[in-house]
Amino acid sequence: MQPKPKALTYLDTFTAILFLISVGMVFFYAPMEAVMGNVQRVFYYHVAVGWVGMLSFLAAAIAGILYLKSKDRKWDLFALAAVEIGIVFTFLNIVTGSIWARPIWNTWWTWDPRLTTATIMELIYFAYLMLRQGIEDPERRARFGAVYVILGFVSVPLTFFSARLFRTIHPVVIGTNQPGAEGQFDMTPRMVHTFLFSLFTFTFVFIDLMWHRLRLGRFADQVEQLKLRLSL
Amino acid sequence: MIFSLLFQEGPAETTAYMIAGYAVVLVVMAAYIVSLWLRWRNLHRDQEMLEKLLPSQKIEPESWEERNS
Repeated sequence: MQPKPKALTYLDTFTAILFLISVGMVFFYAPMEAVMGNVQRVFYYHVAVGWVGMLSFLAAAIAGILYLKSKDRKWDLFALAAVEIGIVFTFLNIVTGSIWARPIWNTWWTWDPRLTTATIMELIYFAYLMLRQGIEDPERRARFGAVYVILGFVSVPLTFFSARLFRTIHPVVIGTNQPGAEGQFDMTPRMVHTFLFSLFTFTFVFIDLMWHRLRLGRFADQVEQLKLRLSL
Repeated sequence: MIFSLLFQEGPAETTAYMIAGYAVVLVVMAAYIVSLWLRWRNLHRDQEMLEKLLPSQKIEPESWEERNS
């Protein structure tokens, strides 16, 4: 296996330490919520993984713009890596939300505006991977992919603001809840610390995973080039 | 359900859902990391095989950008 950079090893270690601390804060530092009980603790990672999902899609859109400007293939690899990570973390966001909803809303799923827009966002980025698989020419694939991630990014602010703009039962952390929101709660200082630390931790999880996924993308590209050279 | 939560004396007993939520996060994240490792390992095998067929081609992942710039 190829040696990895020392900085990446340090980042892996730092991220793992942050992750362990955040788990400790979630279970031992943050108090139990008075009404919902322990399931409220899902909130810390539910929001954090959702943040990583949206951050990934933003990174992909920026990479798409940079690709169209420079035609440099590294931005195409960057966008692909970001979308892949975004899909994984948005999936986690949806599933953890569903698990929280079961005891609080008394249902695993409802076609609420927030849940619906998040699902559409996830499907839009799944379609990006399918689009890429359907195009053989690398340059055409990168160009179409870049345009797609830029246009697809419209779904991200739509999802973020859906709980604020539409009538919804989904609670919001920042801003005013809709009158019909169910499951909202007031955060104590310890809850705020845990919440912010989880966001901080998952930002590093995102950076760390992006670096690993980019290395993989570059390596795959090289092996592909070697295969092409062999076939000539 | 929300009324029964509001009028109870103590917090609702929802620990099982919390465990399920964190289990999903840990399992999916671990599965993604394993998938990255497996893909890397498979590429490494492909690279070794291709290097045997093309002995003069030696590739280094970290120097890829420099060599292509």
